[in-house]
Amino acid sequence: MGKNTPSAGPTRRTVLVTALAAAGGVAASRLLGLRDLGGHRVADALDVAVMDPMTDAMAPDDTVMDPSVMDPMTAMDMPEATPDVTGMPAPTAAPTRAPVALREPVTGVSVPDLATGIDWVSPLDKESAKVAHLLRRMTIALSAAELDRAMSEGYQKTVARLVDTPFVEPPVLPAAENATSQAAVKLGDLQTWWVDWMVKSPTPLAEALTLFWHGHFTSDYRKVGLGSPFIYWQNLTWRRMSLGKLNDMLYQVTIDPAMLRYLDLLTSTGKSPNENFARELLELFAMGAGSYTEDDVKAAAKALAGWRQPQTQAMVDARLAALAKQKKPLPSNPPKPDPVKTGVFDPARAFSGQLIFLGLANTFDARKLIDRALTSDAPATFITQKLLTYFATPVPSAPWVARLAASYRRSGYDTRALVREMLLSPEFTAPDTYRVLVKSPTEYMVSVAKALNSQTLTRTILANANGLGQTLFDPPSVGGWGDNAYWISSNTMLQRANFVSTALGQTRTLPAFAGAEAKFLDGVLGPRTATELANTKDERGRWYALLASPEFNLK
Amino acid sequence: MNEVGINRISRREFMKNGLVFAAGAAGLAAGYAAVPDVFARAVYSAKKDGVTNDKVLVMIQLAGGADGLQTVMPLQDSRLRAMRPRLSAAMDQALPLANTTLGINRNLRGVKGLYDQGKVAIVNGVGYPKPSLSHFDSIRVWETADPTRRQIDGWLGKTIAKNYDSQGHPLVGCACGTSEVPGALRDLEATLSVVNGENSFKFNGSDADRVMGAIYNGTPGIYGALFDQSVFTARDTVARLRTAHERYVPKAKYNDNPNLVYSSKNQLGAALQLAAELVISGVGAKILHITLGGWDTHDQQLNRHDQLMAYVDQAVTAFHDDIAAYGMADRVLVATWSEFGRRPQESASAGTDHGTASSMFIVGDGVKGGVYGEMPSTSGLDRDGNLKFTVDFRSVYQEILASHLLVDAREVLDQSFERVPFVKVA
Repeated sequence: MGKNTPSAGPTRRTVLVTALAAAGGVAASRLLGLRDLGGHRVADALDVAVMDPMTDAMAPDDTVMDPSVMDPMTAMDMPEATPDVTGMPAPTAAPTRAPVALREPVTGVSVPDLATGIDWVSPLDKESAKVAHLLRRMTIALSAAELDRAMSEGYQKTVARLVDTPFVEPPVLPAAENATSQAAVKLGDLQTWWVDWMVKSPTPLAEALTLFWHGHFTSDYRKVGLGSPFIYWQNLTWRRMSLGKLNDMLYQVTIDPAMLRYLDLLTSTGKSPNENFARELLELFAMGAGSYTEDDVKAAAKALAGWRQPQTQAMVDARLAALAKQKKPLPSNPPKPDPVKTGVFDPARAFSGQLIFLGLANTFDARKLIDRALTSDAPATFITQKLLTYFATPVPSAPWVARLAASYRRSGYDTRALVREMLLSPEFTAPDTYRVLVKSPTEYMVSVAKALNSQTLTRTILANANGLGQTLFDPPSVGGWGDNAYWISSNTMLQRANFVSTALGQTRTLPAFAGAEAKFLDGVLGPRTATELANTKDERGRWYALLASPEFNLK
Repeated sequence: MNEVGINRISRREFMKNGLVFAAGAAGLAAGYAAVPDVFARAVYSAKKDGVTNDKVLVMIQLAGGADGLQTVMPLQDSRLRAMRPRLSAAMDQALPLANTTLGINRNLRGVKGLYDQGKVAIVNGVGYPKPSLSHFDSIRVWETADPTRRQIDGWLGKTIAKNYDSQGHPLVGCACGTSEVPGALRDLEATLSVVNGENSFKFNGSDADRVMGAIYNGTPGIYGALFDQSVFTARDTVARLRTAHERYVPKAKYNDNPNLVYSSKNQLGAALQLAAELVISGVGAKILHITLGGWDTHDQQLNRHDQLMAYVDQAVTAFHDDIAAYGMADRVLVATWSEFGRRPQESASAGTDHGTASSMFIVGDGVKGGVYGEMPSTSGLDRDGNLKFTVDFRSVYQEILASHLLVDAREVLDQSFERVPFVKVA
């Protein structure tokens, strides 16, 4: 879902007039990195006054830019045959299709000029921009301090530090660990616990990966419930396994207590298997649609049946207390806590006998089934594609996917090696990956908090999550969340802007703005953002313009 | 910007209609008379000759695969009873439909009332060839109206793009009660609104609206146009919703007793109330989409499904009453859809796995009430144990497009389908 390439693809080639930087003087320098979307050809002429993006390229009083000069509509067009969506009717519109006409809207809100075909100029030839790109992609959000540190280390060393430093876990949340049906953990407490850690964690790659896997191997609190530690455990498990071997990950996913509930494996028996988990394991978690048959789903459902959920001491105590309260006799064989935090296998409820799965007749349990699935070509490509699409580019090139998928398989599905290889691939920092991903709501809001150097915005983040379209522990479906264009609608853009207003209102001491657009936007600004920043004198207004800008919504 | 004749004409038209609108609003304030859809009229006249009607479509998606066999039940089917030892309890409590062997879910009391008045069409056996049992795959098939999975644009988005000038009228296509554009409404050439809740749909901060308009203009990059269009639509929608809110006076009965009509906890109800407001206030709504999730009942289906039925019944009935009170029920058609029905055989966990063909409900005063389509037989199941469809879902789309919205269905569906004649033809 939601994998459609972004809308508004280029329909004509446009070269921007180069007066921009000249008109803007120092202030406009470097801001217009705009390139031709069609061929990814950098419009060199724009880089007239290239400056070090780390210096303050936006001194407030430098220049007032003339918006008419900045207007992309003054661009020289080199039209192609296709009609575009900018409001210029195609001269030869097909009779069945009237042009999509722009008009003065009745509300008095003026229609924007759509800059079809104009792209940002990538600054990724510079080490500093590469490092910032890496942090934006792989750490959910970056603070000025984290950026400074990574800049001093350089790209390679930062990759090594991110990937090889053991992940630091969030502090224990006792209310979740001890949750029972009598004393459920509050959803807000669970979300606060995680978002706080996204802001504070010294190993934020762990949080980025946990969020990635939370959308991939997804579960929601509604079905899992909050009267057990299961959904909390799942978050901890996903973080611990996030760079593990794929076969091991899939096994942990299969026997994860929250997942057992979420996709009904708990109620699946060898006699009467429930297909829900088996289908999603193959379709959404490991292989992708089309790489197995309906009979494989049925066989997998049988092979995976037979698990029950574990009991914690707190859950057992709560149950006994409930019986005592109702003055019922205690069972002669009282419930005992399980020593594990996973599902417990009950052979009596499992399937025994031969099955045919992916063409192989054998007896299968969960491990053997997963191992068999991983002998297919599908999983390495499927997971690699998903990872690259999420972290690198919405359309990773086929050779890149193939190369990384082959290594992944060769390495015995070592996910740490896969992530490292992705980050060290030239493709990861190629110019055509610059600003091609949209920050998810969580990434966006945590980015605002970290840019403002605030550790007290968690409540605001949670209060706005639903409006922006992403509530942690509550994905819209078993397919998790969409990406990029999925996040952009009139409603979500309004809510993103409103989140920034609220966040600024709640931040008493704002960091000095000077240099912010260099730090957080690589100094690469579109003309309108640059104009607004230049024309805004107060710090709060400038922070608003920066944080609400399209540039900051991208990663 | 572009001085094309068509624009000048519609601008003039709008101003003329604006006067009519003011008169309508006065009428509304006096407690009677419907507000004319003048914005919408301007749209139609601008876009295409022949499509100048005032019809509105509201599609309700029951996401997750709603069980058709606990919604419309063949009451005398003993095989089905045998396959559903626990779930067949619903059959005992079903509301029988006169002159048929069918009964509908016990909680569809309001819908049954409308059915008895001839305002509800039930189409059975709706599905498509080579059905997919994957939620995502099958949702995509329904959204794009294309079982071959080649289309990307949604059928409703395509309808908007090909027939209405949505650019200056963002509420022509609107997803209510969500923050994402549903796939059925997606089309790169259609401008759409997404309104989660009316109260939260405004800019905070005195200068925010202006700043956003200033920044989101000519945005570079592959998402630039989408960003700019979304922000523009948001700003335009804020202004329009203000108008809508001023013009919409809910009828006393749900103001007095909101729990019985639109419960605040019922998101479908809230979304449908927003839909009613958009239709009644005349801000140009044409195609509205609402999603209610929770239908993926692999486990303990009996009560869960019945509760959801009650939700749907309450909200749809309230919506119909509201619209009818404004004399607009003949213009508005409500239809339900789900990506698939569920398997006849119940599972060990008293639920059902993913299935295929199911029933659709179409509600409105313009509907020729009754039962359409043959109920698939539980004796001739496919190899997965699922029902074989009897009506292609695109036949239902065809009827909605051609007979209700009065647009060229072939342009949207790429081919023509047999009518399921549930729309009264004048």
